[in-house]
Amino acid sequence: MKRLQLQQWSGSALSPRARPACGRLLYAGLRRQTTVSSTTTDAAPAADAGVATSRQLAQAPVLAASSQMSRRLLPSPPVEAARESAKLAALHARLYLPSRFPLETLARTLVHASADPNADFNNQSLATLGDDLLAYYATEHLLCTYPRLPLTVVFAAMYAYVGKKTLAAMAREWGVELAAAPGGEVDPGLLQFHRITPGTSLNTGPITGTTRPNDDRTSWRRGMTSRVVYDDHFGEPTMAPGATQQSTSNITPTVTAEEASATFVRAIMGAIYLHAGRPAAKRFFSQHFLSRHLNISELFNFSQPARDLSRLCAREGFESPVAKIISETGRKSRHPVFVVGIFSGKDKLGEGAGSSLLEARSRAAVAALKGWYLYSPLDVRVPSSMEEDGAAPWKPVYIDPGEVVV
Amino acid sequence: MAHFIAVSKRPSSILPFLLPSWSESTVSIQQRNQSSYRRTTQRLRLKPDSSFGLSTDQIYDHIIHNPPSSAPSVYHTPTKFLPPGDVRSTLRAGTSVPNSEALPTLFKSDTTKKYHLKQSDIEEIRRLRLSDPMSWSRWKLAKRFECSPLFIAMVCEASPEKKEIQKKVLEAVQSRWGIKRRIAREDRQLRKETWGRE
Repeated sequence: MKRLQLQQWSGSALSPRARPACGRLLYAGLRRQTTVSSTTTDAAPAADAGVATSRQLAQAPVLAASSQMSRRLLPSPPVEAARESAKLAALHARLYLPSRFPLETLARTLVHASADPNADFNNQSLATLGDDLLAYYATEHLLCTYPRLPLTVVFAAMYAYVGKKTLAAMAREWGVELAAAPGGEVDPGLLQFHRITPGTSLNTGPITGTTRPNDDRTSWRRGMTSRVVYDDHFGEPTMAPGATQQSTSNITPTVTAEEASATFVRAIMGAIYLHAGRPAAKRFFSQHFLSRHLNISELFNFSQPARDLSRLCAREGFESPVAKIISETGRKSRHPVFVVGIFSGKDKLGEGAGSSLLEARSRAAVAALKGWYLYSPLDVRVPSSMEEDGAAPWKPVYIDPGEVVV
Repeated sequence: MAHFIAVSKRPSSILPFLLPSWSESTVSIQQRNQSSYRRTTQRLRLKPDSSFGLSTDQIYDHIIHNPPSSAPSVYHTPTKFLPPGDVRSTLRAGTSVPNSEALPTLFKSDTTKKYHLKQSDIEEIRRLRLSDPMSWSRWKLAKRFECSPLFIAMVCEASPEKKEIQKKVLEAVQSRWGIKRRIAREDRQLRKETWGRE
């Protein structure tokens, strides 16, 4: 296991009460959060009724002998329990987190908002920051590496890099185990959330309460360009803040394991950014997210590739594409193979093989369109590389006029 | 009777069942022994391609690159698609381009657009298709006006009665299909959809 050097932890992030060397760690400070300033914790922020009663109970002068009893009253493990958890230390070492990243924050990233509604003790704020960071780094990587990608493919690639399913798979690969139910006595190394009731239907018809105008008109078309303006970075509608609060005010919120795992990974990203800074966050992103192989050429789906290619050549001022047979075998047999190339003037744009002339031409047109859309500049630099020390002067990246509109 | 005559023409040695049982020991039963096996393997033993061998002057001084034939990678941007400032277009300037003029086109007829139809012709197309839709189909109109059937569909639409008749004809044809033909046609459509995906 990696040795944790306690003295190197940043004092700005760790309040003195949370330090294990401090002698006055009593139950009055049972629920002090590391990332909250001391004035806020002393004021005991008002939350809903259940948490308030539990905090009053916790602040009662009970002795350490009955700590297991009082821990049961808390919605999530207390802060100093992070020091006792072997799972947390193992996870910290396994992820090779920077030494300035304290175990207390790692424990906080494992508490979903459905387990502990108090915003000082759950990972909601860290996840919001981490989600924005993930979206920013993934977007700048995609747009600078493949500047001609169509919007639908950008949305699909974003979902493949930082989507919910990918993040949940990453949490599973990291070995994060799920707690059966949240509580103060649970090991803080387990992911804590209130599970959704089995048998609940997840697809509850059309979504309303989004930030889009006229979202009650379910039959209206959601165009691709409007998704850039109104929707999130996956092209899905975002929920308005008022609508979510109304739905969660009366009943206990429950989430799926996938959603909770994804929130945990986002919170890790936000916490690394807060504790270790931008370079560490970017390194973490490139090591854990960009290293996952994604074949972007498989995300395309063309319905009429020959027509699209013809429109593209007309737009760019090339000669109109002509399909020609490069080679063929067994034309009159049961399994012929044709190799067709699409030429614009003398240049070959694409090549495809198929068992009929039409199939080969269609595949050749698809190859030519992919050759256009998957153009990648030679020396790719992303805007966030300017944050490094001694970065070279910024040269503008290549920007494309846009995809083919028929 | 004809069958018997045909059989009797063959030499009796290869048809042992026609012979009486006392001559069975004399019939040579064909079997694979070691000499025929060796001959077979010798014929299957092909010499490797000349590009695999080492040239005499450069021993162990070069890389053998002999890739199997495959479609070119889509990540390799064609030279025409490179933007003006890209270095690769100047790097590839010296490479020879294979002559595409000699290659045969896909279809026999010339598909270049002629743009020869006037507004009066289009009016005529619309009038003909509406007046007698049964005789003036898209293909007949395209042949008369020397344009593509797609252009006919772009300038005019069939009357609702003609659409209804055509729908009934299609239903009558499809009602005679059995399960195999129906499945085969659906499979063909599904395969066609994968052309744009893979």
